[in-house]
Amino acid sequence: MPFRRYVEIGRVALVNYGPQYGKLVVIVDVIDQNRALIDSPTIVRTQINFKRLSLTDIKIDISRNPLKKELKAAIDAADVHNKWDSSSWGRKLIVQKRRAALNDFDRFKVMVARIKRSSLIKKEMSKLRKQKA
Amino acid sequence: MSFRFHQYQVVGRALPTPTNESPKIYRMKLWATNEVRAKSKFWYFLRKLKKVKKSHGQMLAINEIFEKKPTTIKNFGIWVRYQSRTGYHNMYKEYRDITLNGAVEQMYDEMASRHRVRFPCIQIIKTATVPVALCKRENTKQFHDSKIKFPLTYRKIRPPSRKLKTTYKASRPNTFV
Amino acid sequence: MAPTTKKPHTSRNKPVVRGVGRHSRSAMYHKRGVWAIKAKHGGSFPTTAKAVVEAPKELRAPKFYPADDVKTPLHKNKIINPPKLRASITPGTVLILLAGHFKGKRVVFLKQLESGLLLVTGPFKVNGVPLRRVNQAYVISTSTKVDISSVDLKKFTDVYFKREVEKKKKSEGQFFEAEKESEEKQLPAERKEDQKAVDAQLLPLIEKIPDMKSYLGARFSLKSGVKPHELVF
Repeated sequence: MPFRRYVEIGRVALVNYGPQYGKLVVIVDVIDQNRALIDSPTIVRTQINFKRLSLTDIKIDISRNPLKKELKAAIDAADVHNKWDSSSWGRKLIVQKRRAALNDFDRFKVMVARIKRSSLIKKEMSKLRKQKA
Repeated sequence: MSFRFHQYQVVGRALPTPTNESPKIYRMKLWATNEVRAKSKFWYFLRKLKKVKKSHGQMLAINEIFEKKPTTIKNFGIWVRYQSRTGYHNMYKEYRDITLNGAVEQMYDEMASRHRVRFPCIQIIKTATVPVALCKRENTKQFHDSKIKFPLTYRKIRPPSRKLKTTYKASRPNTFV
Repeated sequence: MAPTTKKPHTSRNKPVVRGVGRHSRSAMYHKRGVWAIKAKHGGSFPTTAKAVVEAPKELRAPKFYPADDVKTPLHKNKIINPPKLRASITPGTVLILLAGHFKGKRVVFLKQLESGLLLVTGPFKVNGVPLRRVNQAYVISTSTKVDISSVDLKKFTDVYFKREVEKKKKSEGQFFEAEKESEEKQLPAERKEDQKAVDAQLLPLIEKIPDMKSYLGARFSLKSGVKPHELVF
């Protein structure tokens, strides 16, 4: 299987360690074989080790070391945040966050809803099974 | 970012005497882990280069120098003199970094690993930001490419914080992502 | 007049080392009360009239020493104030009980009593928890709330829950009648009435919120893989 995600200028990545954990950033320049310069509209341009980055499938079109304004425009033009939120990886993170924020009553309601759903599914399944038999 | 080494500007001179009421003032930029060590390093160099010692000298000022643009990548050239087990050698090194302090730290790490030379045996002669056209080392030149593209191989997913680190895992990691 | 023995004057700012006082200049300013002399505080040092000390009655020394040592009770001047109510607990908050017979039950908090204990109820109709006092230390407060502003709770105080202590007399006759007495204690009818009244007021409020009734009816428990310190309540 070939590599699908490359370190490139404009590659969108997720920070998976350290103070910027969970932030979606863009690789703006490559320092050396271990580090890159990252930026996003919400952070100050900094260096980061590749070990702390998870590359995503999204790549935006920017020049090397762009102005903050240009970067913002490029991110908006590529619709990065919508793309990310609709990707399975991004959706998983959103669901995780929402699950963690549920309070006791919400968790109870989810539990009730799941029971209802599974009972419905079971009912339909048994119907189908009877039809086949 | 916190660096091991800080750059200091140290200013000092010999004590004024009746014969020489305004001795020459010397200024030096050097790297040290803190101000106290920077002052010590200053007297070490001054004693070697000029006829001034700490016992008959005074410190006029000491300031830390910070990177002007810590958000851009530069190529730093560092000229170094170091004492090996056989003698003194001069060396030129090139690093890509966002701060000079970072480059100096890289240099100390590299000298320690490749040549087994520690901090006290190394004297930094000169540093400079080198324009791209004048870079000499292949390792820095290979990153002067706006279309640079390479994969990350052998990836290990780390836990999101130190707290969640474990020594033993139930399953082998997937290193290809 | 007999010469009064006066304590020699000492500074209240005891020195740490010679020349270095324990308190700063500004701390001493407040300690000495110089601020009170300022014009806006009246211009003179506030004084309190000395309480008139009654001359102690002459007591005649007892003729004999007591044969046994008389224990004098220890001096107690500790005032136990009722604990503060946790900020997350407000009337109507759903609480999870953590200890006792009803542990794991979700109950509705009604009000804090004077002793600091929390007045809660299941309601009894929903999950069997009667009107009851609990310590807030044995409770998890959730962010779920029921609006109970219309419920009348004036009746319930600490006195209401006080048990009447039966005076036990040890006599032979009663000793043999003990079996008779060990009948199950009945809850006073009044309590039952009150419970019914409160339940009747609470139930429509609870039923207004979908799923609330079954939520209160269910017990809270931890499942494997659930980290209680990471849960949001």
